[in-house]
Amino acid sequence: MVKRVTCSRVVVVSLLASAMIGFGAESSRADAAKGKGVFEAKKCGSGDCHITQGPATEKTFADQLKKKGPELWYAGSKFKKEWLEKWLQDPIVIRPIEYNSLEKKNAGNHPKLSKAEADEVAEYLMTLTSKDVEAGVIQANKNIQGKQAFEKKQACQACHQIEKTGKVVGGMVAPSLVKAGERLQGDWVYAYLKKPKVFKPVKRMPIYEGYLSDVDMKNVAALIASF
Amino acid sequence: MNKKALYLLMIFAVMMTLGTGVSYAATAEENYKFYCTQCHGPQGKGDGINVTKDMAVTPRNHASAEDMSKLSDADITNAITDGGPANSKSPLMPPFGKTLTADEIKDMVSYLRKLCNCTAK
Repeated sequence: MVKRVTCSRVVVVSLLASAMIGFGAESSRADAAKGKGVFEAKKCGSGDCHITQGPATEKTFADQLKKKGPELWYAGSKFKKEWLEKWLQDPIVIRPIEYNSLEKKNAGNHPKLSKAEADEVAEYLMTLTSKDVEAGVIQANKNIQGKQAFEKKQACQACHQIEKTGKVVGGMVAPSLVKAGERLQGDWVYAYLKKPKVFKPVKRMPIYEGYLSDVDMKNVAALIASF
Repeated sequence: MNKKALYLLMIFAVMMTLGTGVSYAATAEENYKFYCTQCHGPQGKGDGINVTKDMAVTPRNHASAEDMSKLSDADITNAITDGGPANSKSPLMPPFGKTLTADEIKDMVSYLRKLCNCTAK
C-alpha cells in the first residue's frame, strides 16, 4: 500500500514536471518570436547594422568595413543569455573605438530596450546558433597555461583590454575582454580561434592556427571564459 | 587529343588560374591600412590607436630610415610572418603568416621600404 502511494506520487510529480518543462519551452518559443518581432520593428538587422543570416559572406575589406555592428547570426552560440538581457537594457561600451573604425571613439549610443523587450530579443538571439560551435568543450578556468599563451606566447592585450591587478590595460581596437566571462561562451571563443573564417572571414585579428596549438586555444578560451 | 578533351583542359586551366593568387586585398597599402595601422599608425610612425601608455614596447616606426635600415628584408619578412619573437622581439607584434599570403608579405616588405625610403644597411 505504502509502495503504491509512493509510486502514484512519483507519477504525478513527473507528469507535472513534464508539463512545466513543456510549458517553459512553449513560452520560450513565444518570447523568441516576439523578440524577432521587436528586432525587426526596430530595424536592428537593416542598414548593415546586424546580420542575422549565416553563413558569413564577407569577401573583401569593403564587405567588412560597410558593417556598422557585429554580425549576430551565431549570437546564441557566442553570448550568454543573462548578459544579453542585461546589456540590451544598459548597453555599456564593449569596444573603446567604434566598430570598424581606427580613430573614432565609441560614443556608447547603442539603442536601449525595455526589460520586456530585452528579455524577448535575448530569447530570439539565443535561437541563432552555429553548428561549428560544439557545446560543453570549454569550462571557465583561470589557468596559468592559458595566461602564458594569452599574454606571453601571443600578446592578445595589444588589441584587447583586460583587467590586470585591478586596472584596465590593453589596446583599443578590439572588443574589451574585461569581464568577458559574463558575456561570452568559452565554447565559442575556442571555435572562433580554431575556425575564425567561419565566423569572420575578413577581420583585423590575425589567424592563430599554426601559432597556437589546439591545447593553447582551449586554455586561452577557458581563461577568457573566467574573466 | 579530341576537341572535347581540349575544351575540358581549357576550362580546368581557367579555373586553376582563378583559384590561385586571388586575394581580396589589391595592394600592400590596403593590407597595411587594414591590419597594420591599428598599431603602427596611419603614416607608419608607430602611433596607432592601440598604443597606450601601458603598452610594454612602442611599435616600430616604419617611417624612420634610421630604425628600418637596421633590419634586413628577411628580418622584416620573418617578423610579419611569425611575429616579433621570430626576431627575438616582443610578441606584441603578432604573426600574419596565416592571414597574408607569401606574395602579400613580399609586397608588404617593398611597401615598408617605400615608407622608410630606405634599404637594409
